[in-house]
Amino acid sequence: MSAHTEDPDAPASTRISLRLWRGILRTALEERTSAVLLVGGGIAIAAIEATRPLVNAALIDEAVANGITPRFWWIAAAWGAMAAGFAIGVATFIRSAGRVSAGLAFRMRERAFARLQELDFGYFDRRPAGWLVSRVTADCGKVSGIAPWVILDAFWATTIVGLSAACMLWLDWRVAAWMLALLPALAAMAAFFQARLLRSSRLVRRSNSRIMAYLGESINGVRTTKSLAREPDADAEFAALAAEMEGHSVRNSFQSAVFVPIVTSASFLGVAIALWRGGLLAGDGAMGPGTLVAFMQYALLFTWPVIDASQRVVDLLSAQAAAERVQSLIDTVPGIRDSPAVAARIARARPAPGEAPDGGRGRIGRVAFEGVSFAYVEGEPVLSGFSLDVRAGETVALVGPTGAGKSTIVNLAARFYEPTAGRILLDGVDMRERPLAWHQGRLGVVQQSPWLRNASLLENIRYGRLDATDEEVRAAAAAVGADAIASAVPEGWDFVVGEAGERLSLGQRQLVSLARAFLKDPDVFILDEATSSVDSETERAIQRAIDRVLRDRISFVIAHRLSTIRRATRIVLVDGGRIVESGTHAELMRARGPYHDLYMEQFVHDRERMVLGGGLTLPE
Amino acid sequence: MPSPTPHPPARSLARLGELWRILGEDRGLFAGAIALQAAAAACQYVVPLVPQAVIDGVFAPGAEGPGPVARAVLGSLGGADAVRAEPWRPAAAIAAAAVAAGVLTVLRGRMMAVAAQRAVRRLRERVHARLVRLPVAFFDRHESGDLLQRATSDVDTVQGILASQLGEMGRSLLLLAIAVPLMAAIDWRMAIASTVLAIPVIAFAGLYFRTVSERFRAKDEAEGRLTARAQENVAGIRVVRAFGRQEFEQAQFRRRNAEHRDADVRLFDGLARFWALSDLTCLGQLLLVLVAGLSLVAGGSLGTGDFFFFLFATNMYIWPIRHLGRMLADLGKATVAIERLQEILDTPAEDAADAVGDEAPHPLPEGAVRFEGIRFAYPGGGAVLDGIDLEVGPGETLAVMGPSGCGKSTLLSLLLRLRDPDAGRITIGGTDIRAIGRARLRARIASVLQPPFLYSRTIRENVAIVRPATPEPALAEAAECAAVHDSVQRFVRGWDTVVGERGITLSGGQRQRLAIARALLRDADILLLDDSLSAVDSGTERRILDAMRMRRGRRPTIVVAHRLSTLAAADRIVVLDGGRIADQGTHAELAARDGLYRRLWSIQSELEDEERTAAAGGAA
Repeated sequence: MSAHTEDPDAPASTRISLRLWRGILRTALEERTSAVLLVGGGIAIAAIEATRPLVNAALIDEAVANGITPRFWWIAAAWGAMAAGFAIGVATFIRSAGRVSAGLAFRMRERAFARLQELDFGYFDRRPAGWLVSRVTADCGKVSGIAPWVILDAFWATTIVGLSAACMLWLDWRVAAWMLALLPALAAMAAFFQARLLRSSRLVRRSNSRIMAYLGESINGVRTTKSLAREPDADAEFAALAAEMEGHSVRNSFQSAVFVPIVTSASFLGVAIALWRGGLLAGDGAMGPGTLVAFMQYALLFTWPVIDASQRVVDLLSAQAAAERVQSLIDTVPGIRDSPAVAARIARARPAPGEAPDGGRGRIGRVAFEGVSFAYVEGEPVLSGFSLDVRAGETVALVGPTGAGKSTIVNLAARFYEPTAGRILLDGVDMRERPLAWHQGRLGVVQQSPWLRNASLLENIRYGRLDATDEEVRAAAAAVGADAIASAVPEGWDFVVGEAGERLSLGQRQLVSLARAFLKDPDVFILDEATSSVDSETERAIQRAIDRVLRDRISFVIAHRLSTIRRATRIVLVDGGRIVESGTHAELMRARGPYHDLYMEQFVHDRERMVLGGGLTLPE
Repeated sequence: MPSPTPHPPARSLARLGELWRILGEDRGLFAGAIALQAAAAACQYVVPLVPQAVIDGVFAPGAEGPGPVARAVLGSLGGADAVRAEPWRPAAAIAAAAVAAGVLTVLRGRMMAVAAQRAVRRLRERVHARLVRLPVAFFDRHESGDLLQRATSDVDTVQGILASQLGEMGRSLLLLAIAVPLMAAIDWRMAIASTVLAIPVIAFAGLYFRTVSERFRAKDEAEGRLTARAQENVAGIRVVRAFGRQEFEQAQFRRRNAEHRDADVRLFDGLARFWALSDLTCLGQLLLVLVAGLSLVAGGSLGTGDFFFFLFATNMYIWPIRHLGRMLADLGKATVAIERLQEILDTPAEDAADAVGDEAPHPLPEGAVRFEGIRFAYPGGGAVLDGIDLEVGPGETLAVMGPSGCGKSTLLSLLLRLRDPDAGRITIGGTDIRAIGRARLRARIASVLQPPFLYSRTIRENVAIVRPATPEPALAEAAECAAVHDSVQRFVRGWDTVVGERGITLSGGQRQRLAIARALLRDADILLLDDSLSAVDSGTERRILDAMRMRRGRRPTIVVAHRLSTLAAADRIVVLDGGRIADQGTHAELAARDGLYRRLWSIQSELEDEERTAAAGGAA
């Protein structure tokens, strides 16, 4: 598994991928008006900057030659107008850059997020949640943050260099030739610095993430570090990391501190050479003072496009990995979706009320696994040749050790994954022949640690059926006993549950998620029971709710509570991806097989917990 | 005129003192760097001074001849005649100044980087060393995320100030500070005309940061909400699918996404206004120099060369000072960061006298561990331990049980001196543990805390963390004893398997058993296990307990447990309840008396009942 956000040890990009950036720029240019204004503003200010030395020169030469004449004031007025134009150009390009950048980020995020809503769970399993979120947030931000400046500088820098060169050639071609000869040297210098800066800043980031990881461990493991009396060792280990960081940081901040001044100094050196070799200072009046000033200004003007262009190359290189990650997310084809045949059937069908969108049966009354095999990773089968037939009204309790394949079974029933061999039938039809959205719309899922939105109680339950009225929502809550939560808090139904429902206890979260599923009135219930302990009052409330919710439906329960297990119409003991035993509780207890042993061990644990309380950790 | 600084300057300046302290022994180096910076800035002004002197002294001597500054410069070039005869001289002077400025900049960059990064390394080390030595109570009061942020990003803020912002600020201020007297020496009228808009430019930058930092914050908040929405979605992706809520989610996300886009656009609009107006002001300053200077030149009261200098020098200082406002704002941020760091550094560590030396700590005194009249309460809470008297003899295993929250773990942490009792004392072989020293005490007690913490490194490094050179057979023996050797062997990379964030995820039971192996590898005089077998099955538990009994020798052992099987294996059992010892005795004694232990023991008979009921065919 790769690291979570950005692997600092990953090889750094050294070449700009034109294909990748072309696609991103195309998206950026969808903000058409702003893109045009961005480029226009850039060209305008470049033109003003490149010609201003000429106007300066004209002004100076006029004053020196003729004194303060009306013509002088006209030129001064033109200068002022150019300054105003420059300010307007600056305002225009920055505003437009904001719109291009924000628009690009918006579009990339919209597309990446939409793709996340379609991708199969195989994709999610291989990537931690934080990693996926960073693609939508940080990576899109990084790419969109540099895009407008790349567009701008492409035009700004070329305009400046081109126009300045033209102006200088017009002023004095000999001096100009020397100045132009300097340009490649400046560019080489900038490239030299940028390459070093890029490398050292990568090393700094890598050191930084190591330091961060070490500090995190020092803080979270402080009791252990103390109990092992290894503070001096920790000091030494941290000192090594800090010294490494210092080395990289010295190099990096040195390079970034001297980069611009050195390039600027170099360009002054260029002026000196140009003035000397260009014969400017030879013989009096070879060049008017205005022209002299103009050349000095061009020398400065020349350095910035070079510095900026080299910076843009670095930006592209350092954002390239982010761009690749976002693009590959957007380009990923979901592994599970309606087949063309199913899609065609949906397009043709005119379903009657109660029918599925493909015109087929609208409800699920039977789920059958037929010789199903599955592996998350090729060559490591989790299920092999698994068969199970469940009808409405049946509750199947799946029991077995961690990693036995219980979750896989329910994930397959929900078509979160598809079998690698064998098939799963919904009322006799292969589930791959039915619409995915319809199928998943018929499911009620309650997780071990239920996921709630950071919204009110009412809104969380309504998530089960978006068009439900407040009365219907309250009725569903009352049916599972979740209404007690609303009456226990001052805000009542408008109580906002907090991020991931953190303001509710685990038992309350389960009740809310049961109510949510109940409101949906699903055909197939999938319930992953919590292993963490809740007080016995809540536990009884949850049990009553479950009994009510599961009635008359197909239900799969990954069961941990003995009460649920005993009540199941069928218990399936899974181990190593196969059914080891199955039957009712009484049958299996009589058989005195593995289920019997598992049950007895669980029984002791449950009782111990009842006597002493405390967190329940399941034996493996 | 608005106030030029966005933050109360007095406070920021007071904090500069803190920065000075942080620089510590590298103060001289840092001050030297600032001095070089001044020298470099002075060299930069030589660049316009040379043409000034040449123009006024050689080509276009005005009526009054060159001014004193120009004369001095001309003198150092060998006089007007020498320049006329050898026109390379001024060019060489410009080149020399440019090279000198470059060299000085490089030197100061190096010095400042070294001074700043060395100081930051020391700061990092101090923060880390203090963190691992702070009393455990400190970590009760502070969230680990907050502490991590202080140790990383607050240090980074200080680093940014020392390594770059102070240098930049120094450069801006020095350019202005050197320009003003030079200008005044040449022509006081022009000096005023050339700097009159500098104050508004700085003030403007300050003002800007008040408004734009508000928009920055609005954008950050919008980004936070966007991220939270994406996180919520990814975390609940299974529920989203199971409820078919992709479109709903997309709409919710789009709203946040649009809010963020709009905040971003607003930010850029603010930036556009600032940069446009600030450019306009700077250009206005230049126009003022042009018009005023040329009027004086035309009137004959200012040399052309002098005018040239003013124009060039203004161009040099005016652009960098626009950043002063931002830098002052950054200093304000540093103030907060330093305060937050100071809070860690000012909190007293555990007794300094307890530091471990290099030599192996002496064994603890031989004999029983005694708790005498121990009372303990967490700050703001009721008594957790309320008069505990307890003795564990050499070679004895004492089991501690009780309802959750009864103070079992606290008892162990008192013996480790992770916390100190409010009253009473603990002795080992008659010696008060406060006389032993924390480091020696902890080094001679092997403990497994709950939850067990493993460092994010290899299994080998984790288990052998206190004796890194342990040969593999000794490792294997400890692992065998903790019943984890087989698990380790099953990993593809065996002992070199990396655990934690960058490696594999271990189950709770595996973590517990590795922590036991780590404890067993120590050369310890006392063994403490805090609920360390809760996640292993009963068979494995028995193996571990048997193996430990074999090697316990003369060591007193204290085991906190919830499980009957663990408790029953001890020599003696103590029942804690309500902060007091409710009962104690051997298994036989306690099983015969009414109480918590008997209730636990009665699970055995319930189990037999359960088995009989099940065998009789009825589900309970």
